Amino acid sequence: MQIADHTLTARQHLLVSLCAGLAIAPHTLHVPLPISLFLIFLFVWRLTALRYPQFQPGRWLLVLTTLGGVILTFSQYHTLIGRDAGVGLLTVMMMLKILEVRRRQDLYVAVFISYFVIITHFLFDQSMVMALYLFSVMVCLTALLIEINRIKPSATTLEPFVRTGIITLQAIPIAIVLFVIFPRLSQPLWNLGIGSSGTTGLSDRMTPGQIAELIESPEVAFRVSFDTEAPAAEQRYWRGLVIWDTDGHSWFNRKDQVRERHMQLKAHGEHSYEVFLEAHQQRWLYALDIPVSSKQRFRLSQDLILQRREPVRRSLTYQVRSTTEQQNKVVMPGMLQRALELPDNVTQRQFELVEGWRANAKSPREIVELALSHFNKQPFVYTLTPPRYLDNPIDQFLFDAQEGFCEHYATSFTQLMRIAGIPTRLVLGYQGGEYNELGDYFIIRQYDAHAWTEVWLEESGWLRVDPTAAVAPERIRFQLRNDFGTEGSPAMFQLDELGLVGSSLRRFAHMLDNANIQWRRWIIGYSREHQFSLMRNFGFDTLTPLQWSLITIGLIAIPLMLVALRLVLSGRKQPLPEIIAYERFCKKLARLGISRKTYEGPMDYAKRAIGERPDLTAPISRITALYIKLRYGPNADKSQSKKLLQQVRQFRPGRQKPGT
Amino acid sequence: MTRSSLYRWFRQFRRQAKPDSYGGVTVKARSIYILPTKQGLLLAVVLLAMLVGSINYGSNLGHLATFLLGGIWITTILHTWRNLLGLRLQPQHVDAVFAGESADFCLSLINPSNLDRFAITLKQKKNFGDSLDIPNNEQLPIHLPLVSKKRGLFELPQITLHTTYPLGLFHAWTYAEIDLSCLVYPKPAERGDPPVTESYTKSSSGDRGVGSDDFVGLRTFRTGDSPKQIDWKAYARQQGLMSKQFGGDRHLEITLDWDLIPEQEPERRLSLLCRFILQQEELRHAYAMKIPGLSIASGLGSGHMQKCLSALALYGIADADR
Repeated sequence: MQIADHTLTARQHLLVSLCAGLAIAPHTLHVPLPISLFLIFLFVWRLTALRYPQFQPGRWLLVLTTLGGVILTFSQYHTLIGRDAGVGLLTVMMMLKILEVRRRQDLYVAVFISYFVIITHFLFDQSMVMALYLFSVMVCLTALLIEINRIKPSATTLEPFVRTGIITLQAIPIAIVLFVIFPRLSQPLWNLGIGSSGTTGLSDRMTPGQIAELIESPEVAFRVSFDTEAPAAEQRYWRGLVIWDTDGHSWFNRKDQVRERHMQLKAHGEHSYEVFLEAHQQRWLYALDIPVSSKQRFRLSQDLILQRREPVRRSLTYQVRSTTEQQNKVVMPGMLQRALELPDNVTQRQFELVEGWRANAKSPREIVELALSHFNKQPFVYTLTPPRYLDNPIDQFLFDAQEGFCEHYATSFTQLMRIAGIPTRLVLGYQGGEYNELGDYFIIRQYDAHAWTEVWLEESGWLRVDPTAAVAPERIRFQLRNDFGTEGSPAMFQLDELGLVGSSLRRFAHMLDNANIQWRRWIIGYSREHQFSLMRNFGFDTLTPLQWSLITIGLIAIPLMLVALRLVLSGRKQPLPEIIAYERFCKKLARLGISRKTYEGPMDYAKRAIGERPDLTAPISRITALYIKLRYGPNADKSQSKKLLQQVRQFRPGRQKPGT
Repeated sequence: MTRSSLYRWFRQFRRQAKPDSYGGVTVKARSIYILPTKQGLLLAVVLLAMLVGSINYGSNLGHLATFLLGGIWITTILHTWRNLLGLRLQPQHVDAVFAGESADFCLSLINPSNLDRFAITLKQKKNFGDSLDIPNNEQLPIHLPLVSKKRGLFELPQITLHTTYPLGLFHAWTYAEIDLSCLVYPKPAERGDPPVTESYTKSSSGDRGVGSDDFVGLRTFRTGDSPKQIDWKAYARQQGLMSKQFGGDRHLEITLDWDLIPEQEPERRLSLLCRFILQQEELRHAYAMKIPGLSIASGLGSGHMQKCLSALALYGIADADR
């Protein structure tokens, strides 16, 4: 079972190098620079050797280069296993293989390794664009295989691609069946230590000025699709995590203070929605305001944070129900004390400010209102580029510069409330989001990151207070515009005053994002849960593994049968209509016992038939004459073939000769 | 069970296309065998590795790419099968050869369908013939050289028509028996002088026009005369085409006689006779041949030579095999 070993042409050598180069190219961006340079060096070496064969490395040089490649990889990663080092090693080995392709056998190995390299890209980038790119590379590689398997080269460059296209289209139904049915594991087979990549997002330690940095990123944090009516912009607070403790500079949660008690609210939430979360390497999940239940059985902590056991390392889809109106009276022992703790660097003027409000207010609620109006009336500026407060951020912000971003307002408000004896906590998350009409969902980007507070009031429980809204209510109602002025300039807001160009641009962007979310939902996010619910819909969830396998084989066999049928039919010649008609005529005569001999021409046959059945002379000679004219006559009129068919149809000879 | 007896046991099940009334074979759906090639198995292993990787990293796109390639792998079976289906092999001709020489069996490969076919190879066990692409509704000659072993009729053994198109992952083949046989002359022995019965006929007019020693005169040109014999000078003088005639004063008639060969072994005798025929043809001396049961009158030229050589080739086996 061997293939005759045709040698490869120079063109095929060049093509395999180029295709493999395309397959490997995206990796040069995330392997360390020395490895990238090494890969490029090998590639250039290969191209040079194809042009000037004297540069083709000999056996020993190849062995040395291979050794060098392994050492280089090891020096960069200090290991050869695991995802990143494995990919580094694979790319180096593949390029070395390309360098030594001589025979057909080598070319096959190179193409197969390229196939493998293609799927390793998905560990780093699962976007639609990348998938399309890699799919094209896969088609190129396959077309190359087709090209080397024929004897004469194709007449056009397009031809092997057309043939690959046909085979690929026929393979797609099989791929879809397997994709949907093939069981997914929720745990990896073995842990290969998936490294975390530096994704932007909120972290569990917040220093004022950090969110302002996030604001520069238009990266998508998550998307939300509502099943019920979506709340208004000023109600869309996406809760991420709650922060309790501070040292006067940063805000964080002390490990010993975190009470890992979780609860499940059984209340009815009026908002039901699905969240498509991008990987953010943290355990908390974003949910609207007060999450009450989730299909996925995530834990809900006492401060109403939805949590997962594992950090979110891959994009994740989950369903939540939330409420924005329900009173939040959850309180645990020690919780209120913790919400009153103050750092050491509280200054005298802070105490004095709060004392003034206390004197004028009758209830804690009024103190809150006084504080908010303080932010409103004093010349506070809401800016994306606040000055850096190094010594005592809250104090400097409150009394000296009075320029800040949401986190400055939220942290200082929290501290002031705690001074006033009102338990207050800091909430980090996102606010607002951009609506995509095409896909009917919201896109929440990093620049929507926000910080607000929750105060404890005896009569209403935890109450959301957003001091930023007091200073810059537009921040809450409208999107921040994503361009940045000079330091200290007031933030600008994006109002719906875009021109035609702007709105159609946004429409296009929304279309792209919609395609992206569908991609996410159905391809990347397809999970064990989806699989089970799909199977349940078809009533397949009670099947044994054996039945299961049989169904899979059956589902693959059906498209295969169709392909086989198509292949067999596509090559078959359609006989001319006059031949079909004449054959039918012969069959009718054969039923009378006058079957046509293989050597008999139509004329001889007609003569013999008339000899046996003189009563049929007229129709037989008419049909035969017309057939001969159509088949062999010059400039035969093709419309006549219909007439022939009609005459044959009307030819209904009786079984017996009349009169006998 | 040894390998060869296993092979024989397997052989009884194998389907092969029998020649039809035209001596050719059409490849039927059920007579095609198909198995993965080394490359096909290698890709299967790579796909398995891709699947394990995809499962381990929970990469849905990895799953999708693996399944797509897997689908291509499976679909290729059908394409390879289709590439062979419906092709027709028909015997053309094969020139007679001397034993030990390579007989060039020429068949015609017919593609009666509307699909182009690619990389169709003709082979017989380890002997590879032509590989060619055949466009739709075309007929192309295809050659299979096979080394002849012994004199006689060399019937084209069972041949294999095979292909690995489109991706080289699968190897589809069909066995075909084609009615085509090659006449194999005995292997010529080393050069030597033939023991001949010579009969001299002395005549005053010599052997007019048969010998080649002396010029004896001119006669009008007859078709078949060698251009060397033509008197071009006479033609230049516009006397028409005249042939020069040569002759000796005695006529030497050579008969290559089986009984005169000193060696006893029949095959050896045939080889020697074969060599003598070739020598006589080289010398352009007419010769007659006598072997048991057959004597061929004196003559010269390729027709005569073929007649003699065929008689040698089929000596003793002609009746049995025909």
